[in-house]
Amino acid sequence: MMPSWSSAQHPPGVVPQHPPPASYAYPPNPAFIPVQVRQGFGPYTTPPPPPPPAYNPYASNAAQAQASAPGTATSAPPAPVEQPKGSKTEWPESVRRYVQRSFHPENDDASVSRAELEAKLKDTIGSAKENNSLYTIDWDSMPLPQALVRADREAQLKLHHHAASLSLTTPVYTDDTFNPRKRKSNDFANNDTSMPPWHSTNSGRSLEDRISYSPDKRAALDDPKSSKFQKEANKRKRRFENEYKAANISSPSPTPPTSGPIVGTSEVLEKKYLRLTAPPVASNVRPERVLRQTLDLLKKKWRKESNYSYICDQFKSMRQDLTVQRIKNEFTVSVYEIHARIALEKGDIGEYNQCQTQLRSLYAMGLKGNPIEFKAYRILYFIHTANRTGLNDTLADLTAAEKEEKPIKHALDVRSTLALGNYHKFFQLYLDTPNMGAYLMDMFVTRERLAALCNICKGYKPDVKLRFITEELGFESDADAAQFIIDYQGQHLLEDRTEYIAFLTGKAGGLFESARASAFKKVDIKGQI
Amino acid sequence: MNDLFKGFAKAHAEQNGYLLAATLSPIASSGNPQRLRLIWKSSHSSSVKGDIKHFIKSNSSHQRSLDHEEVKGWVEVYAAYWNAIGDVVAVEDGKSTWTKVYESWKDVTSALIRGYNNFGFEAWTIPCLYVIGKYLRLFAIRSDTERSRSAGDNSGGAALIQDDFDPETEKQSQLRDCEQHLKRIFTLCLNDRAPLEESRKWGIYFIINLLFKTYFKLNSASLSRTILKTLSAYRGDMPALSAFPKSQRVTFKFYEGVLFFLEENYIEAEKYLVEAWELCHKDANANLERILTYLIPCRLLTTHVLPTKALLEPFPRLQKLFLPLAQCIRKGDLRAFDIALQEGEDEFVKRRIYLTLERGRDIALRNLLRKVFIAGGFDELKEGETTPVRRTRVPVAEFRAAICMGSGGELVDTDEVECLLANMIYKDLMKGYIARERGIVVLSKKGAFPGTGV
Repeated sequence: MMPSWSSAQHPPGVVPQHPPPASYAYPPNPAFIPVQVRQGFGPYTTPPPPPPPAYNPYASNAAQAQASAPGTATSAPPAPVEQPKGSKTEWPESVRRYVQRSFHPENDDASVSRAELEAKLKDTIGSAKENNSLYTIDWDSMPLPQALVRADREAQLKLHHHAASLSLTTPVYTDDTFNPRKRKSNDFANNDTSMPPWHSTNSGRSLEDRISYSPDKRAALDDPKSSKFQKEANKRKRRFENEYKAANISSPSPTPPTSGPIVGTSEVLEKKYLRLTAPPVASNVRPERVLRQTLDLLKKKWRKESNYSYICDQFKSMRQDLTVQRIKNEFTVSVYEIHARIALEKGDIGEYNQCQTQLRSLYAMGLKGNPIEFKAYRILYFIHTANRTGLNDTLADLTAAEKEEKPIKHALDVRSTLALGNYHKFFQLYLDTPNMGAYLMDMFVTRERLAALCNICKGYKPDVKLRFITEELGFESDADAAQFIIDYQGQHLLEDRTEYIAFLTGKAGGLFESARASAFKKVDIKGQI
Repeated sequence: MNDLFKGFAKAHAEQNGYLLAATLSPIASSGNPQRLRLIWKSSHSSSVKGDIKHFIKSNSSHQRSLDHEEVKGWVEVYAAYWNAIGDVVAVEDGKSTWTKVYESWKDVTSALIRGYNNFGFEAWTIPCLYVIGKYLRLFAIRSDTERSRSAGDNSGGAALIQDDFDPETEKQSQLRDCEQHLKRIFTLCLNDRAPLEESRKWGIYFIINLLFKTYFKLNSASLSRTILKTLSAYRGDMPALSAFPKSQRVTFKFYEGVLFFLEENYIEAEKYLVEAWELCHKDANANLERILTYLIPCRLLTTHVLPTKALLEPFPRLQKLFLPLAQCIRKGDLRAFDIALQEGEDEFVKRRIYLTLERGRDIALRNLLRKVFIAGGFDELKEGETTPVRRTRVPVAEFRAAICMGSGGELVDTDEVECLLANMIYKDLMKGYIARERGIVVLSKKGAFPGTGV
């Protein structure tokens, strides 16, 4: 559920007004920090009791409980104190103070929207709780969510290659060294995305401010030859040029590059993933020997508990440790392969893609693993995203011997049957997919069924048996096939004829065409390869 | 160096941009193989700026004198140029790297761009931008090859704080960097607001073509769309494309066509490629070949037209590429088509036409089915009919027999045959419908195979 209140009042990027609008209900009170948070989080049903004018630990306690509740339906939100359901969480005093501090008007940041702030706060506390570090973190020196959001943007700017796909990051920052004044580009959609980042520091900055930003004073020099107009044009040009340069040269790394990869010394098996904002510290990085034990542990845990968010997080920290130590060997391959498979199974396409990208270059280095399996996935994935360039490149990379390997041959056959519209063969291949390819094929099988249905409706008159559809389009049963047709408003095309059910193709007209067109149009690409 | 600035002065006197650009070429001229070395040796890093200033002044003193600011700008450009030449000479002697050359050529680029922005370089000099941009791209490519050969992790500390390795950016990093600088030139030309006669806008298509080449090389052809979008936003202020040199128009049209081709918009692609074909110089065989490489697959899908032998006469490579396929399509020989496609696969994939040509199988199939239809002959004349009507009720079994034969004797089951027939109908290659219960195909009496005369 989305925080309905905050998004309605403050679309991302819109600066909250001061003083707060009337709907905030409670006037700002120096002795009490208005507990606006609770209105921002969906699943909370009972309205909070109006807080008394003095500090009320219960009200703010509830607010924190809400603030840390994960937004997804998969895990139950930690119950607030007055609602003893499930595991009861005691919120340390320091966390409460932190939350208060976050919402204190004095700490408002025009560039960080309310929704972002709440999300960040929820994230920070939630992951601390998950980590059991609620009591260990020094909340009083913890940077405010506003600062964290800004730091994230900064990091995103630097890592913009992966930014789109780091969907599962839950960074907890334990240092407070970053500079909250250093504002970077907005990565979220708002009105000033078209402006260079530094101009949005204060959305109220005037045009003159921006002109005088240009350090190039030659603009003022009198050029006897050019007209006034020309000079103006040049000035503009120069300004653009400066901005352009600044915008395109990624911000310099805050620390000078170190001489080489570090060697980790940490002996801890499990480690929470945090995105690095500074060069790694050896004592926090596990050497390969330890990582191997970690992998065994994770494999066991995955089999036993199947807690994906935990597993994914642990794998990400393993990958990070491998990367910072420049470990590229067969062990690296197996880490990425296992993570890719788990992500695939759980439909986490973002992580899956990141792993695939890595695997591709690791295989290219000649490291052993299961390149055949993963190359086949790659082809299937490109079919899903209808990425012709990707398909073409993949074809170019395959050797003649690889093309004969069963998984790859299967994927290539899938590709060519679809290219030629041979749905008959396609669904035969679908029912006989090696390895975990079916997870990928499931992503586009509906779309291909619609395409086939369009074909059949135009090609066959006056009708066919429903059983024919079931068999041709690889449905489990007639009921499934009928349900599929009904789902696309085709109930009137089904006719019960005692011995069999007929599907009146002749009467379908263009019924499935629009569904087909829209199914082919929207291919959600996450963490593009 | 004196020769260099004689050329410079002459170019300025005549306002001949191409002559001026020639002085900035980082290669030896045919008449003077020692050109670079001579220039490099004729000065020293401590005195080069003074030398250049002297040469510029002494050579152009009797000519229309250059504005003080402009001289300053050109001194910067030629000093950077001299420096870059030093690196080129050093590479030739095996004492430097292309990476260094690229870096110093980037300085020349920046100096030149500054010249336009700050020192009032006039628009007739834009061919300098062409030469600079052209070699910037070439040096970037050489630098990338060089770096990939000297294997190992030479990326900086930035990678250390990433979660994963980033293989892609490491590979063509210089060319990516080059793209940024070409875009600076692009903006420099695009945003000039001087009156058209003296506008840098006239440089726009040359630079766009360079950017297209770069994007294609970077395997991100789709980024070219961004450039086209920017361009169309300025279309009103831009001189018409037809006013630009033919060579630039051909290249531009070609890339526009290929872009559409890659987006599977074959109708648009055909339009642009035909334009490029018609504009292209009749003796520019390499370019004509490039255009045909995409135009032929395009035509195959849009109008189902195959290339004639006469058309391919001057292009042996295209004959090898397309003639075997074309023959199979004509004959409706599915098996031979598959083999020909497989044999040419590497070449087709390399040129990004494989996925398009593959669809030519539909046409081969259509031709095969058409033969079945024609072999079926005519229905008996009914009363009152004078012209014979072809037999339009064809058993699926007949089509199946043909498809099995066409597939080299491989058994294709009836359901698959029906699937192929349904496809033909869906794609409007065949008109009619399948009556599954009766096992026959009912074809249209008028034009069962549209566009083929029956």
